[in-house]
Amino acid sequence: MNSADKLKKLINKSEIQISSQTDKRILGDAFERMDELRQDRQAGTGVNIWRIIMKTKITKMAAAAVIIVAVLIAIHQLAGNGASAVYASVVEQLHNARTMTYSLITQMNIENVPTVRVDMAFKEPGYMRITTTDGYLTAIDWAQNKGISILPTRKQFIEFEATNYQHDPAQDPFAVIENLRTLPSRADAELGEKEIDGRLLQGFRVIEEGVINTVWVDPRTGELARVVMEFPDAPGMSVIMTDFQFNVELDDSLFSLTPPEGFERVEIQADVSEVTEQDLIGYLRAWSSWTKDGTFPPTLAGMQLPKVAMEMEKQGKFGEGQTTQEQRERDQLIMYRGMMFVYQLPAESNWRYAGENVSYGDADTPIFWYRPAGSENYRVIYGDLTVEEVLPEDLPR
Amino acid sequence: MGPIIEDKLLVFRCKRGSKEALTQIYEKYKRDLLLLAVALLNDVSAAEDVVHDVFVSFVEALEKFRLTGSLKGYLLTCVANHARNKNKAIQRQLTSTSNPGEAIAENSDEPSVLTACNEQLQRLSEAMAQLPYEQREVIMLHLQATMTFNAIAKAQAISVNTAKSRYRYGLERLRTILNEEAEK
Repeated sequence: MNSADKLKKLINKSEIQISSQTDKRILGDAFERMDELRQDRQAGTGVNIWRIIMKTKITKMAAAAVIIVAVLIAIHQLAGNGASAVYASVVEQLHNARTMTYSLITQMNIENVPTVRVDMAFKEPGYMRITTTDGYLTAIDWAQNKGISILPTRKQFIEFEATNYQHDPAQDPFAVIENLRTLPSRADAELGEKEIDGRLLQGFRVIEEGVINTVWVDPRTGELARVVMEFPDAPGMSVIMTDFQFNVELDDSLFSLTPPEGFERVEIQADVSEVTEQDLIGYLRAWSSWTKDGTFPPTLAGMQLPKVAMEMEKQGKFGEGQTTQEQRERDQLIMYRGMMFVYQLPAESNWRYAGENVSYGDADTPIFWYRPAGSENYRVIYGDLTVEEVLPEDLPR
Repeated sequence: MGPIIEDKLLVFRCKRGSKEALTQIYEKYKRDLLLLAVALLNDVSAAEDVVHDVFVSFVEALEKFRLTGSLKGYLLTCVANHARNKNKAIQRQLTSTSNPGEAIAENSDEPSVLTACNEQLQRLSEAMAQLPYEQREVIMLHLQATMTFNAIAKAQAISVNTAKSRYRYGLERLRTILNEEAEK
């Protein structure tokens, strides 16, 4: 046995008795500091922001759920087909929530595109339910990693598994809402008081990560009442989060995975394996095949994409011709998986997209690059969709 | 649930103000943290102070804290950093004391050193105490916290080669110390 092994053995056999007094002192002081910091934050913000969590990323994560819903809604509007299992899987990352409900209202501000309202409900230990005003319902039980989508107009239901999705606590639905609650503490502008839906609310404007957030808070309780997200790159489009309710009684039957009597089961060949770089490449290839000039998507920022896609559709930039329902569902899945690859990349990956106005086949133009976890080098995807590993100093400027 | 996910959830709950989650983190890692601090400082009271300061600092840093690797590794690195400062403070105190021998005697009389640690930990910390502080730190971070030399170098702002040399020299010295001890 060498010295390192001997020492390791000694370390492993080392034991120390920790007195309850020591535990009490350490934890007591840590708790006290926790309370002090919370009070400081509340005093500093002037509103009852009772929990502060990560300031970064969450807005993006908040957007992530909304984004994909919005994208799929946009695709739904463009293609005219119904929501599918893909629609159901947009919510897979929101889990472990405590009881909470709210509504998401997406407005595109484009003629003939209606405002879409989606109601969200969450219940511990991992139940989720999404309903649309036209009766579509998706319920997921994260304990079982199973979900069901019910399509009332067709009297059909789709069952799906959600085992292969990454569970990131930062994407917990409660975390998303908690972050929204903290937005006033970093407000760029105070909007004063305004009566909205019969309630006198206090407004704050916060610009973060390319999203203009207008947050309305009840000044008496500090509770979040309404959040409006606007996107400078997609003028006129907005997502409104409203009707927040916490710890309301939600019966387990609302989250039931049992299909209604008389509904037909639909088999979906959905690939739910872990998303990879190949999924993004597949998405980029597919998009370039949808456009008349073979160009890649102008943006990968999902929130703007529905609006951008609709504008492109209006300008006749997409190819014409009939597609089958099956083809449309396949396209949705390709798009969903490609976008999920990008959303799942951590901030440290430093991903960048530069595919706007680049056509498929342009082997000299880098269109996407990122640093995989644990690697010092970057993966660069070129316009001909080949991939190369490059040193950080050789990245495109 | 994997340990990393479990720790991420605990950190997440701490961020939301859960004292229960903070207690769970403390209970989960207190032994490792205290053991490292004792091995580095050879003084239980000072080690407890270090773990205390690490937890209070952890709470203070929670708002901006983002767990990218192992929570245990993160906390052990914090202990090493705090222990380094504590060691400097102890050294300053010793050099400024008119009778350094008296100060050492006072420390060694600390009953908790004798009662709190088992025989192996006493042997470990006594052997470690004979090494330069920098060598102790690299050895413990590599063997106990299973940190790579790259990570240690980064945490200590030294080169990887320096980290490796400190480890190698420290280990050689320890071999001699432990062998001499066995011969007695």
